[in-house]
Amino acid sequence: MKRPIAFALVLAFVCLLSGSARGAAGNFDAESYASPKIRDLYLVIIRDPDAQLLALQRGQADILGDLHRPVDVDTLADDPRVNLSLASGFHGFFLGFNVRSFPWNRLELRQAAWQSLPRERIVRDLFAGYAEPLSTFLPPVSPYYEPNVATYPFDPDAARKRLADAGWTWGTDGVLISPEGERIPDQRLLSPTASVAPTSAELAARAADALSVIGIPVRSEPMDFSTMLSRLDERNFQMYVLAWQMTRDPDSLYALYSSKMDIPGGYNIPGISDPELDAVLDRLRFAPDAMTALDAASDAQKKLAELAPVAPIYSRYTISAVRRDWKGTLVTDRTTADNLWSLLSMEPAAGPMRPLYLVQGEEPRALNPFTSSSGYDWQVLTLIYDALIAIDPYTLETIPWLAKSWTVTTRIRDDGPHTVLTFHLRDNVRWQDGKPMTAEDAAFTYEYLRKNMVPRYFDNVDNIEKIETPDPLTLVVTMKNTSFWHLHRVGGIPVLPRHIVEKVEDWRSWLPASLKHPEDGSLTQLVGTGPFVFREYRAGEYVHLTANDAFWLGRRR
Amino acid sequence: MRHLLARWSFWCLLLLVLTALFGGRLFDAPPEREVAAAFSKPLWIERDLPPTKEFRLSADTPSLRFDWRYAPPSRLSLRIDPSVGQTGRFVEWRKPGAPEPLHLAPLRGGFEADGRDIAFKRSLGLPPFGDAAASLFSERGSYELALSGEGGFEGEVVLKLEGGRWGLLGTDQRGRDVAALFVAGVRVSLIVGIFATLLATFLGTSFGLAAGYLGGWIDGLLMRIVDLLLSIPLLPVLMALAALWGKGLWQLVLILSVFSWMGTARTVRALVLTLRDAPYIEGLRGLGAPPGYILRKHLLPETLPVLLATMTLGVPGAILSEAGLSFLGLSDPRVISWGRMLHEAHSFGAFTAGAWWMLLPPGLGIALLCLVFLDLGKFLEERVDPRLRKGVRS
Amino acid sequence: MNYWGRRISGALLVLALVLVLNFLLFRLMPGDPVASIVDPRFSPEAKEQLRKMYGLDRPLPVQFALYVKSTLTFDFGISFLTGLPVAQELRSRVPNTVILLGTSLLLSAALGTWLGMKAALRRGSLLERCVLWSGALSFSFPSFFVQLLLLMFFASMIPLFPLRGTLSVPPPAGGPALLFDYLRHMALPVFSLVLLGFGGWAIYVRNLTVKILGEDFILLARARGLPRKNILRGHVFRTMLPPLLTIFLLSLPSVVSGAVITETVFSLHGVGRFLLEAVTGHDYPAAGAAFFLLSLLTVTCNLLSDLLYGITDPRVRLERGNR
Repeated sequence: MKRPIAFALVLAFVCLLSGSARGAAGNFDAESYASPKIRDLYLVIIRDPDAQLLALQRGQADILGDLHRPVDVDTLADDPRVNLSLASGFHGFFLGFNVRSFPWNRLELRQAAWQSLPRERIVRDLFAGYAEPLSTFLPPVSPYYEPNVATYPFDPDAARKRLADAGWTWGTDGVLISPEGERIPDQRLLSPTASVAPTSAELAARAADALSVIGIPVRSEPMDFSTMLSRLDERNFQMYVLAWQMTRDPDSLYALYSSKMDIPGGYNIPGISDPELDAVLDRLRFAPDAMTALDAASDAQKKLAELAPVAPIYSRYTISAVRRDWKGTLVTDRTTADNLWSLLSMEPAAGPMRPLYLVQGEEPRALNPFTSSSGYDWQVLTLIYDALIAIDPYTLETIPWLAKSWTVTTRIRDDGPHTVLTFHLRDNVRWQDGKPMTAEDAAFTYEYLRKNMVPRYFDNVDNIEKIETPDPLTLVVTMKNTSFWHLHRVGGIPVLPRHIVEKVEDWRSWLPASLKHPEDGSLTQLVGTGPFVFREYRAGEYVHLTANDAFWLGRRR
Repeated sequence: MRHLLARWSFWCLLLLVLTALFGGRLFDAPPEREVAAAFSKPLWIERDLPPTKEFRLSADTPSLRFDWRYAPPSRLSLRIDPSVGQTGRFVEWRKPGAPEPLHLAPLRGGFEADGRDIAFKRSLGLPPFGDAAASLFSERGSYELALSGEGGFEGEVVLKLEGGRWGLLGTDQRGRDVAALFVAGVRVSLIVGIFATLLATFLGTSFGLAAGYLGGWIDGLLMRIVDLLLSIPLLPVLMALAALWGKGLWQLVLILSVFSWMGTARTVRALVLTLRDAPYIEGLRGLGAPPGYILRKHLLPETLPVLLATMTLGVPGAILSEAGLSFLGLSDPRVISWGRMLHEAHSFGAFTAGAWWMLLPPGLGIALLCLVFLDLGKFLEERVDPRLRKGVRS
Repeated sequence: MNYWGRRISGALLVLALVLVLNFLLFRLMPGDPVASIVDPRFSPEAKEQLRKMYGLDRPLPVQFALYVKSTLTFDFGISFLTGLPVAQELRSRVPNTVILLGTSLLLSAALGTWLGMKAALRRGSLLERCVLWSGALSFSFPSFFVQLLLLMFFASMIPLFPLRGTLSVPPPAGGPALLFDYLRHMALPVFSLVLLGFGGWAIYVRNLTVKILGEDFILLARARGLPRKNILRGHVFRTMLPPLLTIFLLSLPSVVSGAVITETVFSLHGVGRFLLEAVTGHDYPAAGAAFFLLSLLTVTCNLLSDLLYGITDPRVRLERGNR
């Protein structure tokens, strides 16, 4: 599954998920951190999960960020050398319906289907309990989560009763017949194949069985993933299962459920079209400020729960492991152990300083901030580049990063209201090659992305109308329309060095990790303002980074 | 025939074929069904692990006392009958020597909890990675399962404890009986091996006979096709076709045979070329015998001994190819084959869990099957070419 | 020359057909890389941009022309999955695969030949039986099984060898230390491949040697009183060499395909693993490149072995005359 784009990742790499306990220390102080204590950081590439585990247990690796096999979790839970931590997140796995036609255009049927899904049992059997049954459209960890929504807990009898009350009957073969006398035709539930996604395929089979119990004749149909996506895009389907990696901002609900997004290439796959819902989603998408956003998000979730266009099933937990011979790890129920704050503050529990080994399951490849699409690339890039804003690991709120403060205002002009973002940057930030960072760099970055229509950032910069830098530490971005989310969209873009990027001939084929820095021979062109300096990427083996002692955080000048 | 019966591989093959045909009847559940906890060990090791037990509380037996002399169970689940309804009471658990009982669950109809549920672990005060069963059965001694408060109730409370042992070969990561899967895998391996090779031999012989005897442009065309197919690397094509199609056993058989007939064709063609100009064949031609007759009655029988040997030796190749593909995860997951079992063992952590009963049987099974066919093939080869027989010093 | 000319032109024709097949095979596969992007932040417009970037919006014949051009110049284009030039990806992986496979093939051929000859000379002895049995065993065990067992053994029991990769992290500095580190990492994979590969060779060589030893010209040489060593070296081995070389060349391509499994089990950075990921990830440029290179290797090996066969086998020479 493709990982989210840069923006979402700068934010998302810090935050993970979490269910129950809301962020503990609401007084997290980013300023108390400074440049990394460790001198060397190695991201060791180990693909095989068994080998990852062995490396961790033997001390050849110190942090394992994402354990997904229950047997690994159980093995490490018994190991006294290792600390496990669990974080919940923005992953969501859904069962979708084609709401455009019979039988899924009937609301009571969707609600009954929701009630017939045994989420707890599925989580228990498929994930050995290490996942969270999900019944809402935003995960509980989201800052915009609305708990007071209609829910449909597992109860097949209640499901049958709901249908019977609405006038449905059952034929002699056990299949449901609508109040108008139409029998439900055999349904096919599209899913990825078991070779590609074993748990998804199994889950689809179980969902099909569960729905058959109340009289909906469903069979799961595993198929090649891109074929499945083509079928979904052509709207040639009845039911499907799909996982989404949602983000901190709830405006993804607009992309997923607005009727305007029911177009080729759009993500309103179920085809839900409800004027009230559309109005709420519009309000959400174009909310001018935080209050409206919160309000609209809450209404959107309530409405979606009523309409039930898809049935959420579970949300993945992320479990990470750290060896006990290191201290200073920051663990919350929303972020795993391998977050930025840990990497800044970790040091050996005893003995001299030594390199930190972090396990990476796949290779980063291009390490090109323009085109890199996988989370493995961004694991590296987020250590090198900074954005204007960052995220509190406890509350998931926006905190100052390169920008020490900002304002979001709405300017009314003849052609309508425009959001204006004004960022005030810190004055002590330097690029890793020594040059000072200014608002010019940020302005240049956004302009570059917009001019070249770089696909990954298209949606971030598409709405920018004008960028101004009245002084070297102030950035004023005027948007084409109004939306509270512009702050995150623009503020979350990694800031690239103008003096390097303006000399790049083709951003598509730029390989900064293998090109020497024009002035400083000890660096590559992969320089940012971040806490770690890129040193070497040995394909198939590791990525080597060293601490940036001149990192701006926690320094006066 | 006598020689054949004397060979171990013949009897082994017979046993395997019988297992493939009738082995399924040894088990009550189909192989895909979950029968016990994941990674359960085989029954015949670690007697320390408990057997599966169920404890029921009902209106007549509101409390149960029992002795626990084993290691903790590997899985526990608690189910309360819906007819119990709402009471204000709890299901209690008393450990040996503990002054206060532990509240296991509210006595509410329809309540279900499992040792794997994080919510249940939290209710016991355990971290999310804790082992609920181990915590509840922390020592050997006398335990009590009871209900708090007074009064009767409807329905029953069932506490099911699963030991960590099952069957002849334990269970896999999904709790399926490994022995049942193993038996099902015999059938797949035999089918793939035999039919793929049969088909490949059939294709190869036909093309080889045609090319060798008819010659001319037919020969040229067929040999070009042979070259083309030989130049396409097998595994990548199998991977691509498996990704395209792949679903189903017979597709795999077809694909494997399409890419392995070339060797046979070349051998047959070479043989036909040498025989074609033999005097007796020429004589037949002179007498006016049609090519079909010559091919059928004379040339084909000449090739049979060699073919039989080649075919038997080709079966291991097909079996190993299928195993390789399955191991890489490219085969149909609904088809239980030994290669697939090894793939699942590898990706779902049998190695880490130390579940050697998932790894050894399929691998040894594949090796055994290959050895059987190799031995039979050697036997047939020796019949054809006596020089290869053992014991004849040169 | 006519014979060779025909063989070479035949090989080129096959290559051309392989090119077409490669192209069609991946275009026929359902879906394209952009379709796999499921991310609510990727608007339909952004996806179109991506499609343009990959050149997927151009008509099929244009894509084919570009494909042919890039393949023949060994350019291979940019990988869809990684954005890196495919040639660069291959460059970092080919040495590992070549060393792994080359070493193991040579070692298994050498070991197998030696054992096979020894067995053929001592017919009916315990040695022969051992060789035949060990050969059969080595052939019958699936490669990944043996490798997994080796890993298990060396992981839990004797932590002598590293379990993954080709180098330690960080690799030791200095030429000899680096080389030793590399060898230590490659030892287990190579050992497993030799263990699995010598069997087929041993049996084949044993059968071949037995056949040759039964030939009349060997009988004649013995009758002439030539010492055994001379017979072996001069007559037997020399007769055996062409078929051995032929088999060596012909087994090279299939061994490469087997690299996929070894590289998966030992997490080696090689071409086999690259191919697997490219095929399953619909990465046309990468998969097409790997495919083409493998086909090129196969065609070359077939050609060489055919030529070798043509030189040595008198029946084929006669056949040339008849045509």
